[in-house]
Amino acid sequence: MRNAVLNGISRHRVAAVTAFLIVFPWLMPYEALAVNVLIFGLYAMGFNLLFGYTGMLSFGHAAFLGVGSYGTGIVMVHYAWPWYLAIPAGVVLAALFGLVIGWMAIRTRGIYFAMVTLALAQCVYFIFYKAESLTGGENGLRGIKLEKIDVLGLQIDLLNPTNKYYFLLIFVVMTLWFVSRILASPFGAVIETIRENEKRSAACGYDVARTKLVAFVLSSAICGLAGSLRALHLSVVPVDSLHYLTSGHAVMMALLGGMGTFFGPFVGAAAFLLIEDVVTNITKYWQLVAGAVFMTFVLFFPRGIWGSILHWLRHR
Amino acid sequence: MNSNELPAAIPANSGSRGTMVESTGMPTQKADQPILVTENVTMQFGAFVALNNVSASFESNKLTAIIGPNGAGKSTFFNVVSGAFAPTHGRVRFQGRDITGMAQHEFARLGIAKSFQITNVFSLLSAHENVRVAAQMRQTRFELLRPRADLKDLIDKADALLHRVGLTGLRDKRAGDLAHGQQRCLEIAMALASEPRLLLLDEPTAGMSPEETLAMMDLITSLAEERTVILVEHKMKLVMGICQRLIVLHHGEFLAEGTPDDIRTNDEVKRVYLGQSA
Amino acid sequence: MFDLKLLILQMVTGVALGSVFVLLSIGLSLIFGMLTVVNFAHGAYFMVGAYVGVYALNVTGNFWVSLVVVPLVVGVLGLLTERFLVRPLYGRGIDYPLLLTFGLSYVMMDLTRMIFGSDGQPIGTPPGLRGAVDIGVGNFPLYRLFLIVATAIIVAALWLFIEKTRFGLIIRAGARDPEIVRVLGIDVSKAWLLVFGLGTAIAGLSGILAAPIRAVTPEMGIPVLVESFVVTVVGGMGSLPGAIVAGLLVGIVYSLSSLYVPDFADTSIFVLMALVLLVRPQGLFGRAGLMS
Repeated sequence: MRNAVLNGISRHRVAAVTAFLIVFPWLMPYEALAVNVLIFGLYAMGFNLLFGYTGMLSFGHAAFLGVGSYGTGIVMVHYAWPWYLAIPAGVVLAALFGLVIGWMAIRTRGIYFAMVTLALAQCVYFIFYKAESLTGGENGLRGIKLEKIDVLGLQIDLLNPTNKYYFLLIFVVMTLWFVSRILASPFGAVIETIRENEKRSAACGYDVARTKLVAFVLSSAICGLAGSLRALHLSVVPVDSLHYLTSGHAVMMALLGGMGTFFGPFVGAAAFLLIEDVVTNITKYWQLVAGAVFMTFVLFFPRGIWGSILHWLRHR
Repeated sequence: MNSNELPAAIPANSGSRGTMVESTGMPTQKADQPILVTENVTMQFGAFVALNNVSASFESNKLTAIIGPNGAGKSTFFNVVSGAFAPTHGRVRFQGRDITGMAQHEFARLGIAKSFQITNVFSLLSAHENVRVAAQMRQTRFELLRPRADLKDLIDKADALLHRVGLTGLRDKRAGDLAHGQQRCLEIAMALASEPRLLLLDEPTAGMSPEETLAMMDLITSLAEERTVILVEHKMKLVMGICQRLIVLHHGEFLAEGTPDDIRTNDEVKRVYLGQSA
Repeated sequence: MFDLKLLILQMVTGVALGSVFVLLSIGLSLIFGMLTVVNFAHGAYFMVGAYVGVYALNVTGNFWVSLVVVPLVVGVLGLLTERFLVRPLYGRGIDYPLLLTFGLSYVMMDLTRMIFGSDGQPIGTPPGLRGAVDIGVGNFPLYRLFLIVATAIIVAALWLFIEKTRFGLIIRAGARDPEIVRVLGIDVSKAWLLVFGLGTAIAGLSGILAAPIRAVTPEMGIPVLVESFVVTVVGGMGSLPGAIVAGLLVGIVYSLSSLYVPDFADTSIFVLMALVLLVRPQGLFGRAGLMS
């Protein structure tokens, strides 16, 4: 009975997660936190596609979050593009960076991958930092305005946090659907073989390097979308979006939530952001707590919160 | 059915090799042309010479074994002809085509499939999925949006291959949880899934019980009726019993080749082996 | 007009900067070569070394004492880390120790903030090493010369240790093939413990050596980690000559860019790394054993 329920949820995972996210704002102490969980959940989901499913640990994913933010922000602030063109612009730009960084990082031996992605992303950080006229440099990009949108004659006021949440949710649900299809596709099978055993995958005839690159670009595009939405939410792009510590956040959220699970990224994002929120009310040393919690999970709960729950439910 | 029993040789029903050859556009194999040839292959690791100028040819549609005492270079030779690494010098030809230095994944696409000396499967995936994904290679690799559950022919093909190697009852078990002998059979099913013309098996009976070994040998003999099979093996009695040709390596060099009778009566081979424990 | 003297001076500055990179990269390579662990807390140990050194300096008033205390203290921290945090993860796959050390770096940074505060620790150039000397092409800061010499001495000592001692033999064997060490029956876990301690001790030592020329803050390890990775990718992981050549090269590239193309100084080292990735992805000395 239990397994039947689990399998049912698994088969309709997009609907299940969507349903959860629809009611999610009522579970959170305040709306901005819910929006952040949505955005960072998306970020973690993009990262999870690469790490949890393909087995590639990148420490440079902040580059794609940041480039997505800056891409959308720049075209809106400097070129007055409308939001429905600015969002794809951010995504495409992030995917392009993903193509370049991915191609370079995949060329190296596997052990270098985390180091190379970190270094290349840090390079992107410096580039955007220096390009002050476009990016605002140290102060970040300011002035991204999206206050109301016209859709099919309806005017939606996005300064209302509830409206904003459900507006962003639409993009998240679209991505959930897309990722779910990828995971269930023939390509999805191949990336799991790469995670399990690269040599074996190659011996079966799969071009491992090319498959990894495709996964990398897809992952970067999803993180780019998260960045894009974040820019719209915050109205600014802080330069630290590109810093490797932000890459580390993706890693932490993915592990905390549960790598290689569909719902894990959102659980991880929620857990991470809640820790930050709760702990900063008590002490300013929230990084100590976050780091200690993360280490505890690495040592004792590598499946993460959701992964452990699933495992326990399946094997009780 | 006891999962340790392998069925007696069953005719192949996993697809027709004629179609595979045509669809990859490869030149059709002439009956008398050797399917695999190595020309002056040398393999060096730093200062260590593992293979020295080995020229050998393997006849198509035969079951050939590569034998030799410990340290003869059999595994290195296997790794070179199966695409794990490129030789330092020399050339490898498959069906007349120079494949030296090609990437590993191209070997399977050309029709060369292999099993590994230390069992190498996708541990967390089910036995069925292991074979299904191996079979999927021929059909689709980069489709993003179609559910693979819709590819019924691949699912059926994987089931057929599992049946061929006697693992039907273990279809949904995690590959990592299978017994050693069952994993070896799984590897053979995976190798067959890519519809190879040439099957390379590295010590397929290693670590198997005597019953499992016999069953595996039966399977290999039946496989050799449909395609070329090259084995690396230690167990001399088995090799002598079922193989049609043998190639003997010694200290990384080509020593002798011929039928089991030729080799049995070859003085050099006897001298080389008498100095070693069997 | 092209000033040769300035160029050479700047290159020597690069060598001084590179010296710190050399030490960091050697530590990273040692740990990776023996344990197959990419130490993401390496920058944090560097930072802790600087803090411990400044504290020791403030307490004893003697810089040389600091130089002895730091590797001991940081080395012990490294031993504890390996024994209790990293060792449980060995069965699991190469990403886990990396992830753990990453989390550890967060903890180390915040603990440092808790103990010493979030502002920097001031440290001046130690007496006796102040001022500048004429090195032929112009005046060069004495401390930076000291840095170069100190690094050379440390590297030489390490080389002697690895080439000429029994433990060094274990390191070389382990670097080439960890399985061999196991098969030889040598107590591998003790070897891992000590090598991790050694690697972190070197990182800490480079921290206190660099402290007089860098701002000592809890965040100082962050850019350092990135720089260590760039050097490692350029030189090739697990190679001592690679660490030396790449460390100096990166230092010189950064230094020369600061002079000639200052807007691109920060990105110059990444351009170097990208070039190496394109031309020789395994690094300049990659795939070699630790001492070949």
